Amino acid sequence: MRKRTLQRGLTGFWWLTVAFLYLPLVVVVLFSFNASNSAANFTGLSLRWYQRLMGNEEILSAFANSMVLAITSSVIALAIGCLIGYGMYRHRHRKLGWLIVLIYLPIVLPDIVFGISEMAFFVQIHDLTGLLQPGLGTMIIAHVTFQIPFVALIVYSRFVGLDPTLFEAAKDLYATPVKRVVHFMLPTIKPALISAFFLSFTLSVDDFVISFFTSGPESATLPIYIWGAIKKGVSPEINAIAALMIGAVAVAAILSLTFSRRRQA
Amino acid sequence: MSETITADVADQPGATPATAERQQEAATRKASSIEMQGLHKRFGRDTVALDGVDLNIQAGEFFTLLGPSGCGKTTLLRILAGLEEPDAGSLVVGGKNVTEVPPHRRSVNTVFQSYALFPHLSVRENLAFGLKMRGVRAAERDAKVDEIAGFIKLGDLVERRVDQLSGGQRQRIALARALVCEPDVLLLDEPLSALDAGLRSQLQVELLRVQKRLGMTFVFVTHDQQEAMVMSDRIAVLNGGNIQQVGAPREVYERPVNAFVARFMGHDNLYPVTARRGDRLTTALGELTAEEGGAGELLLIRPETLDLLPGTVEGANHLQATVAERLYRGSHAEFRLEIGETTLQATVNNRGRHLPDVGDRVTVVVAPEDLITLSE
Amino acid sequence: MSYTGVTPTARSRAMVRDAQHLLFTVAPGAAWIVVFLVLPSAYLMGVAFMSNGPYGLPEMPLSLESFKRLAGFGFLGWSPGNLYTLIRSLWQTLISTGLVVLVAYPIAYYITTCREKWRPIMLLLVVVPSWTNQVIRTFGWMNLLAPGTPLSGLAESLGLIAPNMGLYPSNFAVTLGLVYNFLPFMVLPLYAAFEKLDTAQVEAAQDLYASPVRAFWHAVFPQTLPGLLAGIVLVAIPAFGMYVIPELLGGGKGMMLGNLVATQFSGGANWPLGAAGAILMLIATFVGLFAMRRIGKRLGGGEEVVI
Repeated sequence: MRKRTLQRGLTGFWWLTVAFLYLPLVVVVLFSFNASNSAANFTGLSLRWYQRLMGNEEILSAFANSMVLAITSSVIALAIGCLIGYGMYRHRHRKLGWLIVLIYLPIVLPDIVFGISEMAFFVQIHDLTGLLQPGLGTMIIAHVTFQIPFVALIVYSRFVGLDPTLFEAAKDLYATPVKRVVHFMLPTIKPALISAFFLSFTLSVDDFVISFFTSGPESATLPIYIWGAIKKGVSPEINAIAALMIGAVAVAAILSLTFSRRRQA
Repeated sequence: MSETITADVADQPGATPATAERQQEAATRKASSIEMQGLHKRFGRDTVALDGVDLNIQAGEFFTLLGPSGCGKTTLLRILAGLEEPDAGSLVVGGKNVTEVPPHRRSVNTVFQSYALFPHLSVRENLAFGLKMRGVRAAERDAKVDEIAGFIKLGDLVERRVDQLSGGQRQRIALARALVCEPDVLLLDEPLSALDAGLRSQLQVELLRVQKRLGMTFVFVTHDQQEAMVMSDRIAVLNGGNIQQVGAPREVYERPVNAFVARFMGHDNLYPVTARRGDRLTTALGELTAEEGGAGELLLIRPETLDLLPGTVEGANHLQATVAERLYRGSHAEFRLEIGETTLQATVNNRGRHLPDVGDRVTVVVAPEDLITLSE
Repeated sequence: MSYTGVTPTARSRAMVRDAQHLLFTVAPGAAWIVVFLVLPSAYLMGVAFMSNGPYGLPEMPLSLESFKRLAGFGFLGWSPGNLYTLIRSLWQTLISTGLVVLVAYPIAYYITTCREKWRPIMLLLVVVPSWTNQVIRTFGWMNLLAPGTPLSGLAESLGLIAPNMGLYPSNFAVTLGLVYNFLPFMVLPLYAAFEKLDTAQVEAAQDLYASPVRAFWHAVFPQTLPGLLAGIVLVAIPAFGMYVIPELLGGGKGMMLGNLVATQFSGGANWPLGAAGAILMLIATFVGLFAMRRIGKRLGGGEEVVI
């Protein structure tokens, strides 16, 4: 009897928590359809903020920046992280503690310290050499830095999960070093590469703090644009662009759910 | 089997009539001999895996490397495959020195203990992998894969995914994947050890048949002496990185050269010789006459060569014993006998006659020709 | 045969090849992290010990001025603004981590009591909000807590806030934002701990101890402790360095260390002071990780706890 009360209480608490988690997102989506520009009163449905969005050059360029940054950095991080993940696996019997520390550093470092130290460093290098002008280039460097560890760890754990004799079977079956990479290693870790790419992409799109401190005047991404708009004073357009980004996440969530379902089946 | 053939085996290892026949058949196919000289391999600073191995394997032979884990048999196999490089020594396969040839350029294929089937490929793609890497065209690949699939009787599995296969099926696919490349030598690293007993003996027979049909040189690694005896033309027993004995199964089992080989082949009746007068040997069991006394300091008595008579019977090479334990196994029975302070194992075929009970006094009859001596 | 007499050429050749392989695979990534993160961090640490020059840029000579200012000693004597910010950061971290534990613990337990096929969906439901951008999530709370919204109206009628003030900017809004932001980080490790829970121990405890509270304390809680510690580190370290949430929801009186640091590198312009603040965050990070490793090791199974 007492157990059932507890369970019922927990069910109630669960739904309250879910409401708490989704309330701010729902509010953003709801107000993106608000006819008036009040943040407090919902006065009727309208698509005017979305129409305004389409004509806003700044937002379009921020979107383009976000995409260029996310895709470029993910591709670079995939190449470098994949190599380091394989190296960690191949040489796992050596004492590579220093490498593990190095790999975990970008993950554990607080965003603000990460962003500011790179910003300060880039500014100094720029003053000395004229290289590393703040902009998309420096942002790509910064993003690759925090993406490498995730790619490396995903690739590494995929390799660790493999039967080590597979590598020998490939050698034994006449695969040259290059063919081993093309016909055995890459196809075998393909699922890991795909999820590493998507994680890198998400991390990049999701990041605000590090981008904010390493960006230049022309390289605002969507989160940076939204930040600026909020700081200038809330404009209902932000609701629309934010709602679109929430929609993208919802699509990704549904995709990941169906993907994992299919894999279980 | 008659006495003459036994002698034949002992005198000319590896040249039984069956082998000769096989080699004739093999002459039309590809088979290579293997010569190993002075192979050394060390891991880390002080783990010696191979300590100077010299070994010749004939073309078309089913050759087994037998020994306990850590004896170096797997290292030797991996050196044959090219997966390890020896620290010193040379390896010649089919008349070509391949000591430093990498595995992908050796016409040698391996059936791995874990089977090592590629999880990202279908069964057909697994079978075709070696041919594809060698640059064989797709049409020819398909034809060869179909041929080998028919040969190993797994035609209906070819289009499946690897994770849909049972253990026995995986084993066969791994075998087929290696055979389809038509290597000079096929290496098998405990390929049956993961299977249950029934499937295992079935696949032993199948493997032997395949080897006979193809006449290929097989080098087989196992720690199971029963398996080694069933399968092999010749066996090399290894211990501590050294070869202890090379010979046909009957030779290794019946005439082990030292105590290690004797124990590993399952013999427990080993007794230090305390005194020797010609062929008369004194051990803890008493005085026994051997046909040939030899010079070894240990006397080996195989349990299955002993006869048990009820009661006390006097005579030469007759020992008085008490039955301490009896294990009834259906086809035969195993006895633990006590002679004074010493125990002796005896195995007696069950021909439906009287079997002594625990506590009975019996007389053990030892035939002089079955006694051999060996060194420690 | 003496083994040492054998020529070691094959062996050393293989070792050289292996070392080359290690270099080829690991060097690009390692060099990238060293050049673009380790060197910048080292530079920042150096800056913290320099003097503040014109335009806020660091200058020689070396000095501990920045740390003094963090501790509350200003140019004109005692000015505790920075110290208050520091204390506020610690306080917010403590409170929000505590609240996150209180919410996440029953939630994680509840998920494990549900049917197996629902659990991944429930976990996804908890995690998905954190996939959206932090700025957007915080913006959502700004909408919810602004003056004139139902929540603010409710608080007003209860007399919790002055009329027409709204619930943000305030310290309360920052705490709320932190709890909201970090809840999934606590639910996941706790869920993993609950899922591994040895139910036999729980049943034995129910036999041995009269009250369910004692059964929980002796059989359930110790088993979830590694997950709880992992969660605490995952929440407390980034919470202490949080920048976005206090900046948007806190206003001038809700500033945390992250904002203090950021300000020194933009408007306020005192790089050494900002760098000193960053060093505090670094210390907090490594102390947290170290403590967790130590405690995790003592509890056993500490390795899996690190991220």
